[in-house]
Amino acid sequence: MTDDDRLLRELGTAVRDAGQVPESFLAAGRAAFAWRNVDLELAELTELTELTAPAPVAVRAEPAPLLSFTFAARDLTIEVEASGEALMGQVVPARPGRIELRPAHGPTRDEPVDEVGWFAFRPPPSGMFRLYLHTTDGRQILTEWVTL
Amino acid sequence: MIEAMRDDPTLVALVTAARGGDQDAWDQLVTRYAPLVWGICRRHGLQGADIDDVGAALWLRLVERLDTIRQPAALPGWIVTTTRNECLRTLRGKQRTIPVEPDERRADTDPPFDEWLLAQERATALRAAFAGLSERCRRLLTLLFADPPTPYVEVSATIGIAVGAIGPNRQRCLERLRRDPALAPLLDDPSTYRR
Repeated sequence: MTDDDRLLRELGTAVRDAGQVPESFLAAGRAAFAWRNVDLELAELTELTELTAPAPVAVRAEPAPLLSFTFAARDLTIEVEASGEALMGQVVPARPGRIELRPAHGPTRDEPVDEVGWFAFRPPPSGMFRLYLHTTDGRQILTEWVTL
Repeated sequence: MIEAMRDDPTLVALVTAARGGDQDAWDQLVTRYAPLVWGICRRHGLQGADIDDVGAALWLRLVERLDTIRQPAALPGWIVTTTRNECLRTLRGKQRTIPVEPDERRADTDPPFDEWLLAQERATALRAAFAGLSERCRRLLTLLFADPPTPYVEVSATIGIAVGAIGPNRQRCLERLRRDPALAPLLDDPSTYRR
């Protein structure tokens, strides 16, 4: 086998390998560029704590698991607690606005963030999701993906 | 690894153009690195929607990061590190809910990650160099590297060149491929040869 034969064979394998990547995956990558025109900040997950809530007396034998997350953007944080009933959180320092819950699968939900920065989604999401905060003073903050 | 891409003028041009808002340049970056991102996800045993999640996180971070990349040559290394981290994060997330099935993990016959990454680097450079060839060369080589290879008579009929001209054209097109400035240093280095 000559060098040319080897190169050609290797090229063929490389091109075919790339062909295995689903078109939807490529399309999502191309579409991500649209975010560029948005003045968007990413908030990183800085804390994840698995808490165990004290069981309400004489109501339940098993304690409900609680998860608490903290997402940090440049100068604000979004603190979130998830229980079996709700996903509740607070924007610190308080900034009113709206917050979207974007699950990896399924429709986006939208809730107000009140004057003290509180918000709640009932019921909580299941699986992967991220939050997208729009403050009334025009900031847009997207959290990392997390999983419940 | 990946340092060999330092002098890749196409990559520098693509990053610069994308930074300027050029969607086409961005699309080319995605085409170039999507197989790497996807492959890393597969190596971590991820599938379907999980791979899409990692991809979404990766591209979004890259869009955000475009303006702050000082060295476009560092991009492939950054993509590898960030994708791996996202994969591990996804796996940790899954472990809290569903146990990861052992059979979703990579096969033991897969090469070690470093070796695999070198092969990916080479494949990425090969595809990028191929994309830079003339359409005529790409059509010819595509017919020739098909598995099984297209018979010369059929190649001749498909692209309208004499059977006797196929060999010399094949040689010329491969020569141009070899001269690609990002690919050339990898071809000279036998340690990156794909087994």
